Amino acid sequence: MRPVKEYYPMLPVFLGYGILLGIGIFVPGKWQLISQLAFYCALGQAFNLFMGMTGYVDFGYVAFLGVGTYGMAVSIFYLHDKGLGIGLIAIGLILAAVFSTLLSLAVGAVALRLRGAYFAIATIGVNEGFRFLIEGARIWNGADGIIFSRHLRKAFGREFAMALSTQWADVLVFSVAVLAAALTLIYMRNKVGYALTALREDEDAAKVMGINVTRYKITAFITSAVLAGLLGATAWALKLTYVYPEDVFEIHYTVEAIIIVLLGGAGTLLGPIVGGLIYGISKYYLSIVLPGFQLLIFAPIIIMIIVLFPEGTVGILKKRVFGTPLEKYII
Amino acid sequence: MALLKVENVTKRFGGLVAVDNMSFEITHGEMMAIVGPNGAGKTTMFNLINGVFPADEGRMIFEDLDVTTFPAYKRAHLGIGRTFQIPRPFASATVRENIAIGGMFGAAGAEISVDRAMQLADHYIDLIGLREHRDKPAGGLTPTEKKLVEIARALAMKPKLLLMDEAMAGMNPRDIDEMVSFIKEIRDTEGIAIVSMVEHIMRAVAGLAERVIVMHQGALLVDESTQEALSDPRVIEVYLGHPPEETHA
Repeated sequence: MRPVKEYYPMLPVFLGYGILLGIGIFVPGKWQLISQLAFYCALGQAFNLFMGMTGYVDFGYVAFLGVGTYGMAVSIFYLHDKGLGIGLIAIGLILAAVFSTLLSLAVGAVALRLRGAYFAIATIGVNEGFRFLIEGARIWNGADGIIFSRHLRKAFGREFAMALSTQWADVLVFSVAVLAAALTLIYMRNKVGYALTALREDEDAAKVMGINVTRYKITAFITSAVLAGLLGATAWALKLTYVYPEDVFEIHYTVEAIIIVLLGGAGTLLGPIVGGLIYGISKYYLSIVLPGFQLLIFAPIIIMIIVLFPEGTVGILKKRVFGTPLEKYII
Repeated sequence: MALLKVENVTKRFGGLVAVDNMSFEITHGEMMAIVGPNGAGKTTMFNLINGVFPADEGRMIFEDLDVTTFPAYKRAHLGIGRTFQIPRPFASATVRENIAIGGMFGAAGAEISVDRAMQLADHYIDLIGLREHRDKPAGGLTPTEKKLVEIARALAMKPKLLLMDEAMAGMNPRDIDEMVSFIKEIRDTEGIAIVSMVEHIMRAVAGLAERVIVMHQGALLVDESTQEALSDPRVIEVYLGHPPEETHA
């Protein structure tokens, strides 16, 4: 572990999420938007840990959210009458982490041997394949999904079940976001972060420098996948109290994660917060002003960002504050 | 005891024999050059020594350990360092971080903390005289500065054997002289064996190496002292072709 002052950049992270949470609690009628923003920030934060730090783009990322969602659903659906109390939620989170770890090991063992575009292409098939596996083999009710609102009420009573899916789920999403940010910073400040920077910039040179690139890539991949699993378990399973394979294995969410990371700045700590807010807020208002046209507007914006500002918002900000006292906080 | 023993090593790419049954030894603290015209197999030989790809035949012994099947990162841990002809610093990382990465993961890496690696980096930054660029991203440096950063990064790995790929390609004579004396200084202070790869046999080789291995079409042509090699007719022939036949009109 490094000295405490190395972890100062967590302050703007806490500040950012604190303000969001505060607005959600104290400004009436904004909770829905805030919970959506928290989801986007958490998604970016978790995705950034792998894509931002290694430079590998995983198009199958949403599959980790998907299996995480199933982890929570399976736990509540099958164990609701065992009298576990709040332990039921804990088991759901653990199952989500286990499922996403297993999937990331399976995918990583094969796909992480590939580089660049080949990795991206190989991963595109993952979520589609997994969806068809669940539907075709009728695992966990197949295409009929798992609807567990009734089981949740049985286990916790009507009122607490309601609170779980309307408030506590969102609080847990915030927690996942903060956890993802903390892990990102811990990685950045320790050897694993330097190894990831090296392999992102030049994988062959990194090997020659003594870096076991496979080990570090898999570390980042699993960490990012587990965070996605937890996000699925909270933002999707707990919040909606049902899961259908065609909803959770939807490549659209991976694309959103990529947009958020690029908007904010890949490989930066604060990027996903900024990117998540920009994306979430503009999507929210665009859907009011020009419903159905969001993607049409986002596509050219993304192209412009990649061409003009490849470092993203925080990447540019970082350069601006270089040499000033703010430098310690913005990374 | 030899530091590195290369025994009958061969590497083929399809039908091309890039390195053909090479055998030689490198001793501790030695200054050696691998010389040969373009396409002679020097880079392949370097890649085989530091494990970028495995040899098809033969063995490689580093300090009594058979490293023939070791991947590059393990060989780096044992003490084989390398610089590239076109410098490849980690562009977004600062000069200091670049060099520290060498310390963190190289031969001494397992025991070196991030903070210790940063101190080590400062030492080598002073050695290469780039103090004022310490916290700048390495991607923005001039080619010569990048080359120095790459050498410092390799030195921070604390290697016992340093492979330098064309360290002086494209430099002017004055810079070459400076680089030669810098590399000699490194050898004396760090006590490491340095193998330089040079395409043209010239003033740099004379200053850099006590011993020269000349490669020709993948095979070993000569392995002798630099003075001998510079006047060896076989070496001259490789570079200049056959001397013209005496003709009498």
